[in-house]
Amino acid sequence: MTTIVPSGRRRRLLVVATTAVLVGVAAVAAGSSRAAGGYPTAPATKKLQRGGTITVLSAGDVDHIDPGQAYYSFTYEVTYATQRPLLAFRPKSVQQYPDLAAAMPKVSSDGRTVTVHIKKGVRFSPPVNRAVTSADVKYAIERGFDTSVANGYAAAYFGDLVGAPKSPAHRIPSIRGIQTPNSTTLVFKLQHPSGVFVGALGLPMTAPVPASYARKFDNQTQSTYGLHQVATGPYMIKSDASGNINGVGYQPNKLIELVRNPNWSAKTSWRPAYANQIDFKEGFQDPTVLTRQILSGSADANGDTPPPPAELRSIMSNSSEKGQLFFTPTGGSRYIALNTRKAPFNRFDVRKAVAYVLDRNALRLTRGGAIDGRIATHFIDPSFKNLGFTQAGGFSFNPFPSKNFSGNLGLAKSWMRKAGFRNGLYTGPEVTMVSDNTPPGSNTAQVVAADLAKIGIKVKTVSVTHATMYTRFCGVPKNEPNICPNVGWLPDFHQPQTVLDVTFNGKNITSVNNSNWPLLNVRSINNEMNRAERIVNPSARYELWGKIDQQVTRTAAAIPWLWEQYPSLFSKRVTPAPELWNGGGPDVTFMAVK
Amino acid sequence: MAPVLEIRDLHVTFRTRDGIVQAVDGVSLDLARGGTLGIVGESGSGKSVTGLTVMGLTRLPNATISGEVLLDGEDLLRLHDDRLREIRGKRIAMIFQDPLSSLHPLYKVGWQIEEAIRAHEHVSPHAARARAIEALRSVEIPSPAEFVDRYPHELSGGMRQRAMIAMALVLGPDVLIADEPTTALDVTVQAQILELIASLQREFHTAVLLITHDLGVIAETADEVAVMYAGRVVEQGPLETILDGPEHPYTWGLLRSIPRLDVPRTARLRPIEGSPPSLIHPPSGCHFHPRCPYVMPMCRSMDPELLPSDADHLVACHLSPTEKRRIWRGLQLEEAAAS
Amino acid sequence: MTRYLVRRLLWALAMLVAVSALTFLIFYTFPSADPAALRAGRQATPALIAQIRHQLGLDQPVYVQFGTYMKDLVLHGDLGYSYQNNVSVRSEIFSRLPATISLTVGAVVIWLAIGIPVGVISAVRPRSKLDRAVMGASLVGISAPVYFLGLIALFLFASDIGRVHLFGGAGSYVPLTQNPRQWFSSLVLPWFVLAAAFAAFYARMVRGNLIEVLGEDYIRTARAKGLSERRVVFRHGLRAALTPVVTLAGLDIGILLGGAVLTETVFNIPGVGRFAYDAIINSDLPAIQGTVLFGAVFIIVANLIVDILYAFLDPRVRY
Repeated sequence: MTTIVPSGRRRRLLVVATTAVLVGVAAVAAGSSRAAGGYPTAPATKKLQRGGTITVLSAGDVDHIDPGQAYYSFTYEVTYATQRPLLAFRPKSVQQYPDLAAAMPKVSSDGRTVTVHIKKGVRFSPPVNRAVTSADVKYAIERGFDTSVANGYAAAYFGDLVGAPKSPAHRIPSIRGIQTPNSTTLVFKLQHPSGVFVGALGLPMTAPVPASYARKFDNQTQSTYGLHQVATGPYMIKSDASGNINGVGYQPNKLIELVRNPNWSAKTSWRPAYANQIDFKEGFQDPTVLTRQILSGSADANGDTPPPPAELRSIMSNSSEKGQLFFTPTGGSRYIALNTRKAPFNRFDVRKAVAYVLDRNALRLTRGGAIDGRIATHFIDPSFKNLGFTQAGGFSFNPFPSKNFSGNLGLAKSWMRKAGFRNGLYTGPEVTMVSDNTPPGSNTAQVVAADLAKIGIKVKTVSVTHATMYTRFCGVPKNEPNICPNVGWLPDFHQPQTVLDVTFNGKNITSVNNSNWPLLNVRSINNEMNRAERIVNPSARYELWGKIDQQVTRTAAAIPWLWEQYPSLFSKRVTPAPELWNGGGPDVTFMAVK
Repeated sequence: MAPVLEIRDLHVTFRTRDGIVQAVDGVSLDLARGGTLGIVGESGSGKSVTGLTVMGLTRLPNATISGEVLLDGEDLLRLHDDRLREIRGKRIAMIFQDPLSSLHPLYKVGWQIEEAIRAHEHVSPHAARARAIEALRSVEIPSPAEFVDRYPHELSGGMRQRAMIAMALVLGPDVLIADEPTTALDVTVQAQILELIASLQREFHTAVLLITHDLGVIAETADEVAVMYAGRVVEQGPLETILDGPEHPYTWGLLRSIPRLDVPRTARLRPIEGSPPSLIHPPSGCHFHPRCPYVMPMCRSMDPELLPSDADHLVACHLSPTEKRRIWRGLQLEEAAAS
Repeated sequence: MTRYLVRRLLWALAMLVAVSALTFLIFYTFPSADPAALRAGRQATPALIAQIRHQLGLDQPVYVQFGTYMKDLVLHGDLGYSYQNNVSVRSEIFSRLPATISLTVGAVVIWLAIGIPVGVISAVRPRSKLDRAVMGASLVGISAPVYFLGLIALFLFASDIGRVHLFGGAGSYVPLTQNPRQWFSSLVLPWFVLAAAFAAFYARMVRGNLIEVLGEDYIRTARAKGLSERRVVFRHGLRAALTPVVTLAGLDIGILLGGAVLTETVFNIPGVGRFAYDAIINSDLPAIQGTVLFGAVFIIVANLIVDILYAFLDPRVRY
């Protein structure tokens, strides 16, 4: 039931009830402006009230309660409400805004020095209480490299800092590339110019952590700072007098209770923070029940579970409920990865045949049909707009077109013939596939197998849990099958590098936890990517990444099929605020109780 | 003296999936006050059903009962359930074949006896216990005060049956129905139990209806005997008369089939030929005719009535009295010759 | 009896060790997700994953890991820490036990209160219309999946999303000490849903046992003593028919205390069952071990209690 699509960060669980009939939907109700990226328009002009409690329902828990470890869209709904990284996001935009930073960072002309000033007057919540300094940001980033914290993206985005450890450190390193000339200034020294470093400053690992308070927790084999964290955002996780949240505001898998941070000053922040309290209630496994609870008003928003297709149809056809539903592009895509290291998909012609034969419509139907998003033709998704999407050709770039996206058997067979198979039908041995063992992933895999059978490829499927699929098979090149049909990727932030680099650059292939599932390793493409990584100038950067997207798509090593959108539902009693930058999760700092 | 129990033309049928079972087909018997009537017959003869019907234990949805059962003049068949329950256990009691399965396995023996008492009389638990101990003493159980706290499975077969008898007689009923009371016991114990019943009967002046298939038991204890076959009484009379001068082919068969100690071991047993009839489709006319060595044409069509052949000797057979006596004498001579 | 108890306790300990070992074995033999990779996150380098694997002790041979686990358990009562969020498994289980106990006890009371009378009535009037209706309904109760029944119950009676606003909906559970009324209201639907299948099963069992018992000779004797029919059916009949029922109820309680996963999931009750389910989804070995062990302890203890209880209920059984 649970589909965890991995990504630079984890996508929120897309849970579909097994009782939901995955029948195709007629095109999303024409009248709805919410379809495919539709977004709430001008905010209410009426002044919004302060006070009240907002309730967010979810099936699962956050991945890590420690902001230095958080790497999951659902967790961000809590983290960005309680922590202030250098940069952060407003609901309706993918752009970054200075949060702890006083202004956007300044990058030197050679791209290797990034200077940030932090705001004055920002204080930690009790029991620390004191003002935040640049040293706190330095400590926050450094602790991510310590194995007791083990931040998953530290090496990827901050590994290029001068003095950053090359391998996991057993104690908190002191990175000389993070300089703090004074208490409000940070100077980052990079070994190479970077196109994404500024973007990475919006990640929660840059939220300040008080060293003297946190060290005793970070010194343990596995840091317990998360259970004793302090906040800088408008809200904090309820804690006792000593700062402990475990059993107080954080009950694992049950509840996260946010209360106002008494030391937060509205003057230093653009977050309105209307509500007095936010309860994240967890453990709601049945998506239909969860949806109806929001519709009934006993809860206010869905945290990690989309309403199932049957409920979506019912809401969209109900005029009084329609306005509560919003579709937000997740920013990522789903694709079918073909193992290019072994036969038969090491052959370009065979891959092209697959790219032609796959029925994208049928694939999309397994997830609910048009409601679920637009059919993808390359990897950078429409929400990127000028940040790489248009540069990659937008909607018109489609190297393997077919009528109605339903696949072109004739062309597929002709490519098979070019590959040397006489009737256009494969004659080699069975190919292997590892798929999810629950719908919709298992259904997607079945469509793939059925389509491949049309060109004579027989598929042997092994079904395992989603997490096993990733951590034991598709993520381990040694064990990887020929086809991984249930993979996809979400950007960490809206920079094309976070979509294409880890996933298709040959240098990023690892022996375990590999995310370059096609094992693509084309020298020319690798070189282009390495070059693009270093481009500081935005327009040049997007231009090049757009081209790279096209090149990668043309290799047919992975066949994208869905630019997914996520439905967020809000109760009538609150003002909605789906996060465009975070796949539609509710931004509780912008929601008010009416 | 009027009989304490009179059964008049009792018919009992059961509706079953396979048809209507005619278990008791016109039985009339008298039980003298303080006397012992033995009912003998094979399985399926209807003897147990007769006993159960007297107790009112056959009042089931699928049963049809007609006739009269008079206990001191009161027709038990017409009584309301509640009134019948007052009589059951107090004025008529019944003991059964297997005392292990007939006593409740989870309650102490004393408790079960006390329950029998307190169902009919308002006595304190203490008094009831004392009476239970007394009752056990009267059936010659050693250390009755300890025995009272034992469970049925802790006792031997003989002890159990004694306990059952104690439970049945503790309220001094007028009639005791004993359905195969010794069949499940060792031969040596059998004799003791029969002795016990006889002595208690003398002491309390209880009438006993002894139901059994075992002629040996009858010979020991009964004053009167009734022989039943296929739901009917075929012969009835005082014990000596029946043993010395039986006049029904079935009775002859029964007596001849008893294995004897005074014949060579290699001598063959002499069973009654054939097998018991179906009670759903009983044979026409005389129920015994298919197995009777002396069958005549009229036996197949006419039911023989139970008629007196002598003062208190009744027989249901079409053979003429002379023929019967001749045949019986012939059989007796055969016996004498064989030994 | 003492020797019997000692023997049983030793056997129980052996069983618990075996169960722990088996869980370990299953976890490592069958393909399940790699906890170190899950913990590390998507872009973590292999070096980092190896580090985490080392931290969690996962790079040691299975028998060494098992030995460490047993040592911690026996010497310190320590059940380890969750791979997922690093909280103490023991404290999590204990904090969730009250919810599971609340759910179990309530359901037991209801299913016995419904199942036994229904079974008695059916047994006393076998093959009547009432009997047939009840047995038919009980078939539905046994066959309907718990999850499905739970959803139906919520869609009909939940105070937030039901057609009739009667009882607390999913996720409304609070501890008894916090708010008795809400505690009760949140448990009514789960109690009935959980009890449904059991009530049906017990009704059929009581009916079957009682019909059989009422055909026994000692029932005939009881009637022959002139006892009222009520006394015969209850004091003599039911008393004998219930002995296996009581012992079975004891075993069922033991099993349920390990967590009624489906009921806790659909109604979002934060009990041990939910915890076990989450643990399995997340490949959280310490949590899985902890819940399995707890479940095993409850079952073993329940077995023991039931066996001893049987000796009290049936004097023919002696140790």
